[in-house]
Amino acid sequence: MPDTKIRVDAVMNEIEHDVRTRLRRHLIKRGGAAEYHDEELFEAVRALLARAVEERNLDATLLPELLDTDVEWRLQSHLSLSSHRPVAGRFILFFKRRVLLPMTRWLFEYSQDNFRRQDHLNRVLFACIEELALENARLRRDVAARTPPR
Amino acid sequence: MKLACVVHRFGADIAGGSEGHCRLIAEHLAQRYDVTVVTTTAHDHITWANHYPAGESTLGAVRVLRFPVARQRHIHRFMDLSDLVFADRGSRQDEEQWFRENGPDAPGLIDYLRQHGGEFDRVLFWAYRYANSYFGLPLVAGRSVLVPTAEEDPLIHVDAVGPLFDLPRGFLFLTPEEESLVAMRAAPGRPSAVIGCGLDPAPGRADLSPLDGLGLTDPFVLYLGRIDPNKGCQALVRHFLRYADQGRKVQLVMAGPASMPIPEHPSIKALGFVSDAVREALLTQARALVMPSPFESLSMVLLEAWNRGLPALVNARCKVLRGQVQRADGGLYYGNTTEFIAALDYLLDQPDAARTLGQQGLAYVDREYRWPVVMAKIERLLAQTG
Repeated sequence: MPDTKIRVDAVMNEIEHDVRTRLRRHLIKRGGAAEYHDEELFEAVRALLARAVEERNLDATLLPELLDTDVEWRLQSHLSLSSHRPVAGRFILFFKRRVLLPMTRWLFEYSQDNFRRQDHLNRVLFACIEELALENARLRRDVAARTPPR
Repeated sequence: MKLACVVHRFGADIAGGSEGHCRLIAEHLAQRYDVTVVTTTAHDHITWANHYPAGESTLGAVRVLRFPVARQRHIHRFMDLSDLVFADRGSRQDEEQWFRENGPDAPGLIDYLRQHGGEFDRVLFWAYRYANSYFGLPLVAGRSVLVPTAEEDPLIHVDAVGPLFDLPRGFLFLTPEEESLVAMRAAPGRPSAVIGCGLDPAPGRADLSPLDGLGLTDPFVLYLGRIDPNKGCQALVRHFLRYADQGRKVQLVMAGPASMPIPEHPSIKALGFVSDAVREALLTQARALVMPSPFESLSMVLLEAWNRGLPALVNARCKVLRGQVQRADGGLYYGNTTEFIAALDYLLDQPDAARTLGQQGLAYVDREYRWPVVMAKIERLLAQTG
């Protein structure tokens, strides 16, 4: 073992700080929010969004529960074939499954891949909104606690 | 003690994570106990097509019982069902059907456990996600030990998993992160141990001649394993191309069977499946190992790299990999392209520090992952579950 131990957390703190500084400067240069000139404020915003992206369980957020059903927002990434015709339906389904679907499989898979990505992004946005709502609720409670009763 | 090890695939030529883990543990248990591996005739982990002959055989001191697979996996049906179940839109029947579709569907294996499971003192099951564990474990629950090999993927949140995790007498985990993950879904109070996997010390400096003629340039960083989008390889290629575009003279060597297109680029060298000799030489000569996988329950490749004193650069979004690197102080991690570039710069530009990180990884393997340490933990768990 070498005499001088290297702590990964210390090295990563330096790397992450350096990356965040570059990101902030890059955003300012590209015309991002003027508030990002304030390093502390930028870090608060970044940390809040990172918490939503990295720490939230994307399958357990509040906003989707408040919508009527998940049909309203969830992308249908699986394909279910059906027909309303009682007699001809069997043949139509057979044609769709055995001829049409194999012929268009490449397009289906391309679309499905993009649907999955969009679905993930939707859930990330739900998590970000929830994190903002939580932060807002916490701040409101803190403000209320500090406000002297009238 | 008479032990059964139940696993979905088994063979000296199968490189998969939980299958390889099962084989190593079974071989070491067989040095002291009567060990039977109960498995299928499948070799291909996508289709489960029958490959090995059914029936009894031996692999070293291990008795192997293979049962044929009744039907191959229908991958499109499986993917569609996965979308439904993972979005929490499936019924309990859909969830059970997911395990059937995932397979391998080996009715003979389940019948064997039903009829003969009681003849074993302990029945160890590998990988909770496969049909042999989901439908087999309840038949011998009172004498079962589960090695879940759970990853932080959507399956862990599926309702049907909770009742399965309530059944085993004990658990063997690969990492503390996996233990925490399963603890969210399992009733507390059962014996368990975090064992990881054992490794023998690496022999002296490997022979580098197998690398001659492979077209490698120095320095290179190494990805070792299945080249698959699910293993984070698409993202790795994207990150690395951004890195190479900045003019850095470094090669990414990808060694392993590919199930995705690898771009033609002078800085990326794909070797396909490599022999053990090439593998050893690559681990000796590389400047760092990159592990981009977002889901892992234990990375054997990471431990092998540390066993050779090689530092690692891992995907921070995988809690297991990040936890391993932090516990070992054996490498760096990244969450996006910019961090990937900065961390790789550090490892390449500060060779002394990189070497120290690799040596710290080796010290961690010495502490936690030598066979006597691992087997002592397993034997203690087997005694506790009696």
